[in-house]
Amino acid sequence: MKKNLFLLFLLVTSFAAIGQGKFIAKNAYISFFSSTPMEDILGESNEAVNILNAETGEIAFQALMTTFHFKRALMEEHFNENYMESSKFPKAKFNGKIEGFNNSMLSGPVNDIKVTGILLVHGVEKTITISAKLGLEDGKLVGLSKFKVTPEDYGIKIPSLVRDKIGKEMEITVKANYLPFGN
Amino acid sequence: MNKIFAIISGLILTAFSGTVLGQDLDALLNAETKPKVDFATATFKSTRIINGHSVEQMKKNQLDFRISHRFGTLNNGPYGLFGLDQSVIHFSLEYGLKDWLMLGAGRGSLNKTYDGFAKIRLLRQSSGEKFMPVHLSYFTSVELKTINFPVRPAGTSNYFSSRLAYVNQLLIARKFNQNLSVQLTPTFIHRNLVKTELDLNDIYALGIGSRYKLSKRLSVNAEYYYTYNPNSKSLEPRPYNALSVGVDIETGGHVFQIMLTNSQGMREGSFIPQTTGNWLDGDIHLGFNISRVFAFNKK
Repeated sequence: MKKNLFLLFLLVTSFAAIGQGKFIAKNAYISFFSSTPMEDILGESNEAVNILNAETGEIAFQALMTTFHFKRALMEEHFNENYMESSKFPKAKFNGKIEGFNNSMLSGPVNDIKVTGILLVHGVEKTITISAKLGLEDGKLVGLSKFKVTPEDYGIKIPSLVRDKIGKEMEITVKANYLPFGN
Repeated sequence: MNKIFAIISGLILTAFSGTVLGQDLDALLNAETKPKVDFATATFKSTRIINGHSVEQMKKNQLDFRISHRFGTLNNGPYGLFGLDQSVIHFSLEYGLKDWLMLGAGRGSLNKTYDGFAKIRLLRQSSGEKFMPVHLSYFTSVELKTINFPVRPAGTSNYFSSRLAYVNQLLIARKFNQNLSVQLTPTFIHRNLVKTELDLNDIYALGIGSRYKLSKRLSVNAEYYYTYNPNSKSLEPRPYNALSVGVDIETGGHVFQIMLTNSQGMREGSFIPQTTGNWLDGDIHLGFNISRVFAFNKK
């Protein structure tokens, strides 16, 4: 009977564990920036969603392409229509894992980490490793990352006519302010 | 009994902890990603289908500088270089005051006409959270002909108001898929002064326009305006319905529209009631519109 109670206890606690041990950033910031002598292009979204599993160090990101906004309305239209083909590929995703993850990364000051995972853009998946920062800032868990991607790697064709205006590489910036999941 | 209980508990536990550990973060993300209204964007590449307006408009703080030409008719033959010896020009500045409100002013050399217009977006085609099958906009303009009045019989006089014409249109468009968009354009035009008693002051017309994308940056467009005019056969010169076919070529901040059309006018007040070219006689004008957009957003 004691064994049964113990099992029951485990059962109950494991139920209680749903939704715990996870952090979420609902309005994470993602931008991409390209700079050439001809033109600077900056697209920004404040509507990316990010979940961090505090037990396994797994990270998942998701952003709708149509939440990216630009200074020039035409850039936004071309971004969705000509480059990202947002109606065909509405989301960008990243699913990865923090390398050498341990729980103290979440309770200490901001520190450098590495994340390896699969980035899905324009329907093309690529495994990438990116440098990031993760830790507490003013008592709140924050994550930051800057990395570069090459549009051609994701099957995004840039015609020669505008090649001079669009950088060979895009600098991606990610900022997430986490809250415990379920709150 | 105890054993069975233990086994069942154990099974549930393993099954459950299994789902917790391997729980797909994606599923959680999908649940957290807010449902969105998906507006149909880029129904047409430009604010014009060819001659007439499309449901597209300048977004807030974007300025469109447009220059358009229509050359003479192709049936001028090689002597007139197929119409290229003559041309009429229209240029305009068009601005997005709000995302839903666009204002513009321009001048055309045909009849030395100035025009001012407003385009107001009423509905946007959307799917997802909110379903709306079509775009709907209202277009209105005033055209002012400043060409000298013809000599009038003694004892009659000309008025400023005689120079004015008013255009009202509903633009109803649907983007059927990535490539195909179609627009219907019921039109009412009032002209204060017309040439003869047979000419109508009030003109009713229905436009139909469409674009089909051949590639990301190239589309073919066609536009036809049926004008209700029971007197058309007795008028001189005889008015025809305006029919135009063209291509849109997009290069970054520019859109080039190149077309063949039987009307030389580039504003509703001229090409809808006063198209005098007949396609079957080769009265076809080559022409182009060039649009350059400037952004005035502060950020």
